[in-house]
Amino acid sequence: MSNRRSRQSSSALRISDDQMIDLVSKLCQLLPEIRERRRSDKVSASKVLHETCNYIRKLHREVDNLSDRLSQLLDAVDEDSHEASVIRSLLM
Amino acid sequence: MQPTSSMKEEFLQKWQMGLQIYRPLIDNTSVSERRKAIKLSADVAMASLRRGTTCWSRALIQKTATEDNFLVRQMLSGIKAETLINKKLPKVMCHRKIVRRSKKILRRRKSRSAIEEVAAKARKLVNKKTQGLRNVVPGGEFMSNDVLLIQETLDYIVSLQTQVNVMRSIVDAAEAGSER
Repeated sequence: MSNRRSRQSSSALRISDDQMIDLVSKLCQLLPEIRERRRSDKVSASKVLHETCNYIRKLHREVDNLSDRLSQLLDAVDEDSHEASVIRSLLM
Repeated sequence: MQPTSSMKEEFLQKWQMGLQIYRPLIDNTSVSERRKAIKLSADVAMASLRRGTTCWSRALIQKTATEDNFLVRQMLSGIKAETLINKKLPKVMCHRKIVRRSKKILRRRKSRSAIEEVAAKARKLVNKKTQGLRNVVPGGEFMSNDVLLIQETLDYIVSLQTQVNVMRSIVDAAEAGSER
């Protein structure tokens, strides 16, 4: 009975090593930091996952920053100025 | 996989559409309201590229809908907006207490070699990092299957890169245009 239970829980959480290796290598290709580092061929899975988290957070921050800058831009221009029409034509 | 130009184009169109919806409000609101509008419409635009086929995009749309239901409905009209917003997200599928207990039982029964110890430690570290990933990917808390989680992460990253790419071009162009 305990075997049944353990089999159920492990299928939910554990994935085969091959699948993990394949997915992790795909992640590697997306992450700029790891791509540039050619020191060794092997990068540990946990390192890749860690770098992935950092990268996603970095992208989030960049979206926030860009939203900030854009809202400032829309604020800073006068209604009827040339700049306002440039921005509006780009966006709206 | 990289952000393709068709993804970027579609994102831009949808984002512009979202900003159009805000157009009458933009002139009369505070900078922070404007900023929120820009970010929300960018997020919905990014999520709608996937047309409800990925877990992260559905979770993101639901999250945005709680902040601005009107915007999301408008932006998604025509792409089964109702079902996407109201669709119940699945309950957390992994009962951690039960799993922890059965793992403890397993540990007590087996005596482990040194190699097994190392492998177990490595796996524990991977699980910890995987949990970190669940915290940053929308809807991650509902993905108990690690394979699904990483597949979703890959797709989410490419979508984020598209979003950042297009937004950066627009903002750079707008800033250059206003420096006279």
